[in-house]
Amino acid sequence: MEQNRFAAAFKQNAIWLVFIIEIAIFAYFNPKFLSLPNIINISRQVSYYGIASIGMTFVILIAGIDLSIASIVVLVNVVCAYLMMNLGWNMWLAILVSIIMATLIGVLNGFMVSTIGIPAIIATFASQTIFRGLAYILSGGLPIPDVLRYAPEVGLNGNPTLSFFARWTLNHWSIFPKTGIGLIPVCAIIMVICFAIGSFILNKSYFGRYFYAIGGNEEASELSGIRVSKMKYLIYALSGFFAGLAGIIVLSRTGSAQASSLVGFEFEVITCVVLGGVSVAGGIGHMSGVIAGVLIIGSLKSGMVMMNVSEYTQMVVQGLVLAIAVGFDCFSKKRNAG
Amino acid sequence: MYEIDARFNDYFSELDPARRLEILNAMQDDEDSQYLHRLYSERYRDNKDVWLWRAICLEMLYGQWRLFKSSRNKEVRGILKELHADNDSHHEFIYREYRNVARRYLSTCKSSGYASSLMGLKQASDDEKVIKACLDIWQMSEGIARQENLRDNMQIWIKALYDELINYDPLCKLEYSRLSSK
Repeated sequence: MEQNRFAAAFKQNAIWLVFIIEIAIFAYFNPKFLSLPNIINISRQVSYYGIASIGMTFVILIAGIDLSIASIVVLVNVVCAYLMMNLGWNMWLAILVSIIMATLIGVLNGFMVSTIGIPAIIATFASQTIFRGLAYILSGGLPIPDVLRYAPEVGLNGNPTLSFFARWTLNHWSIFPKTGIGLIPVCAIIMVICFAIGSFILNKSYFGRYFYAIGGNEEASELSGIRVSKMKYLIYALSGFFAGLAGIIVLSRTGSAQASSLVGFEFEVITCVVLGGVSVAGGIGHMSGVIAGVLIIGSLKSGMVMMNVSEYTQMVVQGLVLAIAVGFDCFSKKRNAG
Repeated sequence: MYEIDARFNDYFSELDPARRLEILNAMQDDEDSQYLHRLYSERYRDNKDVWLWRAICLEMLYGQWRLFKSSRNKEVRGILKELHADNDSHHEFIYREYRNVARRYLSTCKSSGYASSLMGLKQASDDEKVIKACLDIWQMSEGIARQENLRDNMQIWIKALYDELINYDPLCKLEYSRLSSK
């Protein structure tokens, strides 16, 4: 029995072994890979993948999918930058409004999937197109440049109130990417807090149980008294919320908003989640695996850049990782079925 | 084993809670029907089928890794208590009620979304659905009992679910044996 327990623990956490092997390989080929600046850089880089992957985990757990998260991230980028730069809004107010908007987009996805009954892949693909388009319309197809540097000059229009907010924004906006507690960047801390919240929801709350149950057998969950429809609204809203938060992190990191950015981001997030052991059939997965998945993809990207692997080759590798992760999941399911 | 009076057959074969209550209310008021009323009110609370939910929880607890194994064992024991598994009397009624829970669960296993894969894109074949149903039932009975060393406490539960499963599809007996021999 103890041996079984060890085997189960090993199986559940094997993904961490993959992560360690990956780190060892990159460190062997480039000793700078394990340097402090690179580790900090990776932690910044993975922060927005990590945050977005929490919502995606919930969605995949109920055997759904959310293809709209990249568009939500981009729209949050553009709207938040627009509110601050063009309208001179207070930074926190702009962030709040942007995240509420992202959550509402999630609710809209929930409505299409749960109430109308559109398959999740189609509903969220439609959202993806709609909100990417809106981001282009709002930004006029042009980047909203350098939020940090131009904040005082753009959107002032001689208005002292706007001027105050713009200056305040300039002084405070950089807190996410530049500062941290000790050496740990704030965006990485936000990611860790989000993962803690995600883990709590999945492991300690009734909602988490409901997510697993819906993914395992939706109809039986409904019969047992779970309001599946409401749960779907909640899950897609959470996915939108976390995507919105990721959008704020991206904006603070890049300092500019561009409607054409982050193409394929949703597939990278799906790769992180599936690689972390969340089954595409729903009902199976845990947050610690997703953390490992995020770190593996983040390290892979960083390692390939350090080894001068071309961008196109990186795309090929990431596509292969996604195919292998999904293939492994399907294979395990078939093997279990005998 | 677990024989009951034929007048209860309709009650135990019915899956709809409202209809079951009607049947129960129409019965002669005696000690047995009072016990069934008690079971009914414990199973269906706050518009929920609590026992079905507990069965689903047992399935989820199977194979779930936890740092402290004792916490999972404690949770399973709590569920068994709620399911009256430790009840010294009325075994025949409890057995029938368990079979009703299993039948209600199995009634959902032919839906189009059941056992689908690839985020709901690929629907399962009929055989795949049966195999998944067997796995689910095995995990919530024999599997979790083995895992937590609670076979003695779960005898009626395991038997009831097994008996219901082998009536569900001819393939189930073989599949259940395969899972048990692992």
